[in-house]
Amino acid sequence: MRSLSDKTERFLLGTLGVVALFVFWEYAANHNIINVAVTTSPSRIVVAFVAQWQSGDLLGDLRVSLGEFAVGFLLSLVIGVALGIAMGMSRMVEYATDPFIWFLYSAPLIALYPLIVVWLGFGYTTVVAVTFLLTVVSIIVNTMAGVHSVEPVLVRAVQAFGGNYRAVVTKVILPASVPLIVAGVRIGLGRALLGVVLGEMFSSNAGLGFRVSYYAGRLRTADVFVALIVLILIGLATDQLCKQIEARLQAWRA
Amino acid sequence: MTLAIGTTRRPALSLRRAARPVIGTAAVASFLILWQIVGANEIIRSDLISYPSEIAETFVAMSLSGELGRNVLATLGEFVQGFIPACLFGIACGLAFALSRRLRYLTAPLFAALYSAPMIAFVPIIVVWFGVGRDSKIAMVFLAGVVPIIINTATGVNEVSESWVRAVRAFGAGKWQIITKAILPGALPAVMAGIRLGVGRAIVSLVAAEMYVSILGIGRLIQVYSNSGRAAEIFVLVGVVSVFGLGCVMALRSLERYLAPWRAER
Repeated sequence: MRSLSDKTERFLLGTLGVVALFVFWEYAANHNIINVAVTTSPSRIVVAFVAQWQSGDLLGDLRVSLGEFAVGFLLSLVIGVALGIAMGMSRMVEYATDPFIWFLYSAPLIALYPLIVVWLGFGYTTVVAVTFLLTVVSIIVNTMAGVHSVEPVLVRAVQAFGGNYRAVVTKVILPASVPLIVAGVRIGLGRALLGVVLGEMFSSNAGLGFRVSYYAGRLRTADVFVALIVLILIGLATDQLCKQIEARLQAWRA
Repeated sequence: MTLAIGTTRRPALSLRRAARPVIGTAAVASFLILWQIVGANEIIRSDLISYPSEIAETFVAMSLSGELGRNVLATLGEFVQGFIPACLFGIACGLAFALSRRLRYLTAPLFAALYSAPMIAFVPIIVVWFGVGRDSKIAMVFLAGVVPIIINTATGVNEVSESWVRAVRAFGAGKWQIITKAILPGALPAVMAGIRLGVGRAIVSLVAAEMYVSILGIGRLIQVYSNSGRAAEIFVLVGVVSVFGLGCVMALRSLERYLAPWRAER
């Protein structure tokens, strides 16, 4: 068995684990070991998936969720990087905003969501706002850490050659902060997905987060799992994407 | 705007050193004062944003009526009942994964899926399985807390330096003693990091589950007051949940100091 490389073994065993789980689940459901009405079974989930796909429900929900995800995330990326650089470069700004950022980082924003609903109403805007708030803080904090990690020598070098303020930011600070910003993005993406689900579950009538709750309320457990599995896949995919980008950056810096 | 980077750092004057707390406090104070003025004078409708003095009064009223205490106790009970099993099971499971490579590979995709999935999405199905009462909240806390603990414990144990294990073995330790004397203490920082992550996820999931459907608890109060559009009460509850999270973090820190006094000295 030593002839198997570690990577292959990892892949094979991982696949085996997932397959075994589904086989066991299917068997238990069909032999009344578990109650099918509440636990459903893989084959029923596949049937539900096909039905949702053909009716266009799934694509519609996916479009809504991904749209909110993208808008909320991009907003927090732009604003988070800008604020993070401002906070990293100016002590005044950092000291003044620090308590607020710290509060947003440690306070469970989920508790604030009812107020956001009161301010912005049900639906799209609220979901995007919740997503933005959950995501932006991790990007701000990491960007600031990135700016702090810049070698002062490099800044002085640009200034010595007559570089102005803008040159310092675009030529030195932004490129040097990129690895930490990407790390912040990776944390932020997970939180953004959480924000989308949270917003949709409690204050929307569309999207995957809404569907999870809608189908559960009607005991359509197979449909719940379709939405749940799609959400898990989105989470896995975004995380993998970030890992790839991080690896590329590592190679580029070396 | 002054450039903080690239300027040579001058010896810190006492004024400079005081700058951080002074500016921070001033910023928070002016924010609170502005909020008070805007809210109390109805420049923005106060039922939407409330204002600090109203929030303070509401806090006192809610504490005195016993409403706050009753619900905090309910949430705290659910948290403890879900999280302590999550710690025990998570550490045991992580240890098993670290010691058996095959087992780790077998379960890796499932845990990766659970780790990167938004936990809140599991709330409705957990309610279907465990009902609208306390059980579903306890299950949610367990599920949200256990995954990072397992993953961090497994990673931490893997990274315990081989020399520790050899040293303990050289003094004649058995397999059990290797685990308790070398592996667990060596993995402790990673385990604690996992527990901290788990606490954060568990609190969010617990509040979400209570907000989704429940009979008693902070999350339920938040839902009740949001339906009646009471901003002051919601701010009080946001504060309560924050303090709860902060208390957990501080308790974990002192637990870590107690379990690993050698780390505090560094």
